[in-house]
Amino acid sequence: MTTSSNPVLEVSHFNVDYGVGAAAVRAVDNVTFTLERAHVLGVAGESGSGKSTLAYGLTRLLRAPGIITGGDVHLHLGTDADARRMDLLAASEAELRAIRWKHISVVMQSALNALNPVRKIGKEFDEVLKTHNRSMSKSARKDRARELLGLVNLTPDRLERYPHELSGGQRQRVMIAMALALQPELVIMDEPTTALDVVTQREIVAELQKLRQELGFALIFITHDLSLLVELADEIMVMYAGRIVERAPALELYRGPRHPYTLGLMGSFPPLHGERKVMTGIPGSPPNLKDLPGGCAFHPRCPYAMERCTLEDPMLSPIEDGQRTVACWLHDPSVSAAVPVELRRKDAALAGEAG
Amino acid sequence: MRTFVRKLVIALITAWVTITATFILPRLMPGNPIEQLIGKLTGRVTPEEIAAIKAQFGQGLNEPVIVQYWHYLVNLFHGDLGTSITYSPQSVSSVIFGQLWWTLGLIGTATVLSFILGTALGVYFGWTRGARTDLFIPVAGFLQSTPFYVLGTLLVMIFAFRLHWFPFEGSYDATTVSPGWNWAFIASVLRYAQLPLASIVLCSLSGWMIGMRNMMVTTMSEDFVLMAVAKGLPKRKVMWHAARNAVLPQIANLTLAIGLLVSGALIVEQVFSYQGVGGLLVNAVSNLDYPLIQGIFLVITFTVLIMSAVGDVLYVWLDPRTRTATVE
Amino acid sequence: MRRFRLPGTWKVRVGYFLLSIFILFTVIGPWVAPYDPSYTGFTPDLSPSSQHLLGTTLLGQDVMSQLLVGCRETLVVSFVAGVIAVVISIIVGLTAGYVGGKTDEVLSLFIAVFLTLPGLVLLIVIISLFPQGQQANPLVIGSVVALTGWAWGAKVLRAQTLSLRNRDFVEASRIIGERRWRTIFAEIGPNLLPVLASSLVGTVLYAVSVSTVLAFLGLTPITTWNWGTMLYWAFANNAALAGEWWWLAGPCLAIALVGTSLALINFGIDEYINPRLRVGNLSNRERKRAGLSRRPKLGFTPVHRVTPVIGAPVMAGAQTGPEVLATEATASTPAPREDHP
Repeated sequence: MTTSSNPVLEVSHFNVDYGVGAAAVRAVDNVTFTLERAHVLGVAGESGSGKSTLAYGLTRLLRAPGIITGGDVHLHLGTDADARRMDLLAASEAELRAIRWKHISVVMQSALNALNPVRKIGKEFDEVLKTHNRSMSKSARKDRARELLGLVNLTPDRLERYPHELSGGQRQRVMIAMALALQPELVIMDEPTTALDVVTQREIVAELQKLRQELGFALIFITHDLSLLVELADEIMVMYAGRIVERAPALELYRGPRHPYTLGLMGSFPPLHGERKVMTGIPGSPPNLKDLPGGCAFHPRCPYAMERCTLEDPMLSPIEDGQRTVACWLHDPSVSAAVPVELRRKDAALAGEAG
Repeated sequence: MRTFVRKLVIALITAWVTITATFILPRLMPGNPIEQLIGKLTGRVTPEEIAAIKAQFGQGLNEPVIVQYWHYLVNLFHGDLGTSITYSPQSVSSVIFGQLWWTLGLIGTATVLSFILGTALGVYFGWTRGARTDLFIPVAGFLQSTPFYVLGTLLVMIFAFRLHWFPFEGSYDATTVSPGWNWAFIASVLRYAQLPLASIVLCSLSGWMIGMRNMMVTTMSEDFVLMAVAKGLPKRKVMWHAARNAVLPQIANLTLAIGLLVSGALIVEQVFSYQGVGGLLVNAVSNLDYPLIQGIFLVITFTVLIMSAVGDVLYVWLDPRTRTATVE
Repeated sequence: MRRFRLPGTWKVRVGYFLLSIFILFTVIGPWVAPYDPSYTGFTPDLSPSSQHLLGTTLLGQDVMSQLLVGCRETLVVSFVAGVIAVVISIIVGLTAGYVGGKTDEVLSLFIAVFLTLPGLVLLIVIISLFPQGQQANPLVIGSVVALTGWAWGAKVLRAQTLSLRNRDFVEASRIIGERRWRTIFAEIGPNLLPVLASSLVGTVLYAVSVSTVLAFLGLTPITTWNWGTMLYWAFANNAALAGEWWWLAGPCLAIALVGTSLALINFGIDEYINPRLRVGNLSNRERKRAGLSRRPKLGFTPVHRVTPVIGAPVMAGAQTGPEVLATEATASTPAPREDHP
C-alpha cells in the first residue's frame, strides 16, 4: 500500500470480539486500512460480515458485549497547522466526548430510531451546537440549523417538527445535516439508505456526493449494496466473516472483482445505472461466526474452492502491482490453477482467450 | 386525539359500571343480604330508617327495576347517597366527605412522593445497570411484594414501639391540639402522617423504581441514546435523553398503580388508626352499612378516575406522538 | 419450538428455593405443626424459646403452629385465585388479540375498565355481600380475588398475541386453513408461555396480599387459620402495643418472603421476555475471569488487548480462545497522545 500523504484515520490490526473467554466470538478480525482526508471509503458485505461492528468499534460506540481486543486506531485532528494524531483506543471518556461529533460523526441506519421521538428536530440541532460551542448564541445556533437543513434540501420549518411528522427520506436528510453540523473531518454512515426506497436512495447518494465535494469531509459508507458505492466511493473494501477479503479503487472493483465473494455480492443487486444483469446472488447463507469453517471462511459457498481453501486461510495480499489487495488463493502466485476468467484482469482475460 | 377520546370513553364507562354495579350487586347477591341486614337492624333503628333502606335497595317496592335505577341515578346526580346506618342520621355523603380530606392528603402526597423518588432512583439504577447497585433490585422486590399493611406493621413495631421515634396511631395529637388552621395542629398532623406516609411510599416506590429501571435499560438500547453519546453530549444529557422517553410507560401505568395505591392506602390507614375513608370502610363493612359501603366505593372509584385523568393529560403533554393525528 | 427455561441467575434460584419451602409447608404444614394452633392452654405471652419457637400469643396459643397451619390456607387461596385469574385473562386477552376488530375493541374496553376499578375496594364490596357461610370457602374467595385481578394479565396477553398474530408461522397456519382455535393453541399458545407465567406469578403475588388483607380486616371468617387471621388476632389484642413482636413478625415476614420469592422469579421471567434486561450477555463472572474490570459503559467500548501466546497460530479465526497475557487499556489509563507527528 502506498504511504499516506494526508490520512485522517489509520486503522491497523483491529480486532473486535463479542463476549469474553471461551464464549468470545471474533466479529472483526485483523482489519487494517488508512483513510485519506476527504476520501470516501465504501465498506460492503452481507449482514454479519462485521462491517457495522467495524464502524461502531472504530468510534468506540459499540455496545456490550462488544470488546475491542486488539489493534490501533488513530485519528488525525485539525488542519495542517495544528494537526494532532489521537489514539482513539487509549482515549479517556472525556477525550472521546470532546472529539465526538466535532471530528467524527455518525449516521445510523434507521433515522426514526436515531432521533429522539419526543424532541423537535430544532432542539436536537440546538443541543449539539450548544454542547460543542458554548459561545454560540441562540439565534446563531438557529441560523446554523436552518443553513444545515438547506444543505440537504429541507425547508427551515422542519425544525419545528417532531421526527414522526417527517417522511423516511426527510428524517435521514436531517441526520445527515446533523452529522455535518460541526464540520467533522470524518463521517461514518452505517447503511444510511437501506431503509429507504430506491428513488430516495438515489437522491440521497447524489446529495452526499455533492456535499462531500463542497465540504471536503472523509466518509466511511457502509452498505450491503455494492452498486451504491460505485458512484460514491473512492475505494471499496469488501468484508466477509469479519475480515477484509478485497480492497480496490471503486471503479476497478466494479469493473473487475477479484474475489469470488465480491463477484457474488455484485450479482445480488441490480446496478443503479447501466445494463440490466441477471441477478445471481451467492449460494448458501452468511457464516456463523461462532463456528467458522477452517481455511478460507468463504470456501463452503465458493464455486471456485480448491483443496487448499479448506486447509489454509489466505492472507490479504497485494496483486496487480499493488493496485489492489485480495485474500484469495486463486490469486496466489504459488497456486498453479488458472484464475477464472471473471476474476481476471480484463486485458489478461482477453490475452488468455486469444492464446 | 384518538387516544384522548378513547381514554375519555374508558373513564365514562368505568364510572357507569361502578354506578351500576353498586345498584345491581346488592340486588343480585345470593341469600339476599339486604333482608339479612334489615333483620339485624330491626329494633335498633327507627321504622322510618328501615323504610328508607328498603327503598334504597328496592325491597318490598312495587316499582320495576328500571324505575328504581332511574331514581337511583337521579339521587346520585344530586349527591344523595342515602343515609348511613352506622352514623345515622348523618347522610352518607357528609360522613364520607368529613373523612375524605385526610385520605386524599395521604394518598396525594404518597403518590407524588413515591412517583418522583421511585422514578429518579429507577433512572439511576437503570443507568448503572450491571454495577453493584443491581443488588438493590432484590431489596426493591422485597419492598414491592410486601403488602402495604405488612410493611406498615413492621414500621410501627420498629419505629413507634421499639424506638419511640413516631407516634403509633392517630392522625394528630387530640389531647394537645385542636383541629383548625393553627400551627400546632398542622405540625401535629405532619408528625403523625410521617410513618403511614413512609410505609405507603416505601411500598409503592419500589414498583415505580423497578418499572423505571427496566424501561431505562430498554430505552438505553435504542439508537437515539447511543446517538446522544456519539454526539459527545455530557453524561447528564445522555441520561436525560433516555429518561425522558423511559418515563412515558410509567405515566401510562399511573392508572393501574393508582388503583392499587388507593386500595393499599386504605388498609394502611387501618394499621395506623389513621383518620380517613379506610377506617370508615372497615367500620361500614363490619356493621353491614351498605349505603356507606356503596358510597365509599363510588367516591374512591371517582377519585381514581380523576387521578388517572390527570395522568392521561400528563401523558399527552409529554408525548408529542399522541397529539398529532396525521402523519405527513 | 424452544423450551421455556428461565435464565439461571441467583435471583431466580433464590426465588425458587424460597417458594419451594413455602410450597412444602403448604403440603406438610398441618402435619409438622408442633401443637394444635387453636389450643389455648399454654402460658400466654411467652417470647420465643425452644418450647415455642415463635413464642405464644396473649391467648396462650403457639405462634409457630399457627404459622405452619396457616401456610396452607394462605397459599391455596392465592394459587386458586392466580389460576382462575390467568384462565380469565387467557380467554379475554387471547380472544381480543387474535380475533381483533370489533371484538378486540369491546374486550379492550372491558380490560381497561377493570384495570381502573380499585380492585381491593370492589373486592370488599363483593365479599361483604356474601353470606357468612360462604366467605370461608377458598374457592369463593379465590374467585372473587381473581375477578378483581385478571385484567393486567389480559392486557399483557392481548398485546403479546397481537404481535405474534402477524408473524410468519401463524400467518402460514392460517393460510393453509387450520382451524382458528387450533392455531391459537398450537401456534400462539407456546409462545405466550413466558408472558403467562409472568402474569400467573404476578396475580398470585396480588392474591397473597389481598386475601390476607381480607382476613386481617376481619372480612373473611376469623375462625380458620391463615396468616391474615393471625394478624387480625394480633392486632385485635394490641400485640404491637404490648411489645409482642414475635406474634406479628412471623406472619409479616412469611407474607413478605412469599411475595419476595415470587418477585424474584418474575425478575427472571422479565429478563427472559425482554433480553435487553440481561447485562449485555456478558456476565460479571465472565468479565472478571477475563480480567476486564469495568462494567460495559454505553458508548465507551472497552479496549482489552489480548496478546496471543507466542507460537500459537495468529488470528486463526474465532475458535481460538484468547489464551492470554492480558493487558487492559481502559479509559482510566492516561491517553498517550502523540502531538504533531
